[in-house]
Amino acid sequence: MSSYQQSGSSVMVEPLPPVATGPAPAKGLRGVLTRWWVAFSASAVFVVSGHLLIKFGLNAAAAHPVTAGAIGKILHIVLQPEVFVGLLIYGLGSACWIVAVAQQEISFLYPLSSLNYVLVAGASVLFFHEAISSKRGWGLALIVLGMILMNRKTKGTAQ
Amino acid sequence: MNPKVMIWASVVLSAVAQICLKHGLNRMRASSSQRSGVAGMVMNVASQPFVWMWGISFVAATGLWLLGLQKLELSYAYPLVSFGYVLVNILSAIFFHERVDRNRWISVAVICAGVMMIAGS
Repeated sequence: MSSYQQSGSSVMVEPLPPVATGPAPAKGLRGVLTRWWVAFSASAVFVVSGHLLIKFGLNAAAAHPVTAGAIGKILHIVLQPEVFVGLLIYGLGSACWIVAVAQQEISFLYPLSSLNYVLVAGASVLFFHEAISSKRGWGLALIVLGMILMNRKTKGTAQ
Repeated sequence: MNPKVMIWASVVLSAVAQICLKHGLNRMRASSSQRSGVAGMVMNVASQPFVWMWGISFVAATGLWLLGLQKLELSYAYPLVSFGYVLVNILSAIFFHERVDRNRWISVAVICAGVMMIAGS
C-alpha cells in the first residue's frame, strides 16, 4: 500500500479497496465447493454426461412405445434405467449449480454453461451418429461466439 | 403437442426457474435467521418459497424436455436451451437490476442469431 502514498506529501491517498476474492476459503468439502468455479465445473461434467445417458434412455424407450396418456408416457420414459440414472446425475449437476449460483451473478454464470453445448454436440455425432449440418454448425459457433463476448471482462464489471 | 413446442416451453420455464432460484438465494442471504453447518445450510435453502418455485418449474421443464427430446435430435434440441441466456439477461436486468452493458446485449443478439439458425436447421 505504501506505493500509493505520495512521497513528501502529508496527503494520504485512499488505499485501493481490496481485490474481491470472495470469503476466506473454509476447510474441507465445503471449502472446495465454496469456490464458484469448482462447483461450476462439477456441474458441467454432470450435466453433460447426464444428458447423454438421458438421450440413450429416450431412444431405448422409443423402441417400446406405450399408448397411455401423458403421465403414463412420462412414467414410461423416466423409469427407463438410463433416463433415471441420467436424471440423477443431472440432478447432482444441478446441486453443484445451486452452489455456484450462490457465489456468482447468474448473468455471468449462465452463459459459461454453453460450453456444455459444444460437448453435447460432439457427443451426439460420436454416440448417436447425428449429422451436424453446416447451418447447425454455424448456429452452434454463433452461440459460442456470443458466450465469449458475454464473458469478456469489461472494466468495472469484472466479478 | 408438437415436440418443438415442448422444447421451447421447457426453455422458457427453465429461465423463469433460474430467476426464482436466484431470488430465493438472495432472500436467504438477507434473512436474519441463518442456521450453520451443512444441515443448517440445507434448511436455509429449503425454507425459501422461491427455491421451491424453482423446483416446481424445474420439474415441469424437465418433463416437457424429455417428451420433446424423445422425438428430436440431441444436437438440434440442446443448443436451443441457449435462448435461456437471452431470457435470463432480460429478467436479471428487470428483477435484480444487474448491470447489462452494451457488450452483453450484442452477445445476446449473436446468441439469438445462432439459436435461430439451429431452429431452422
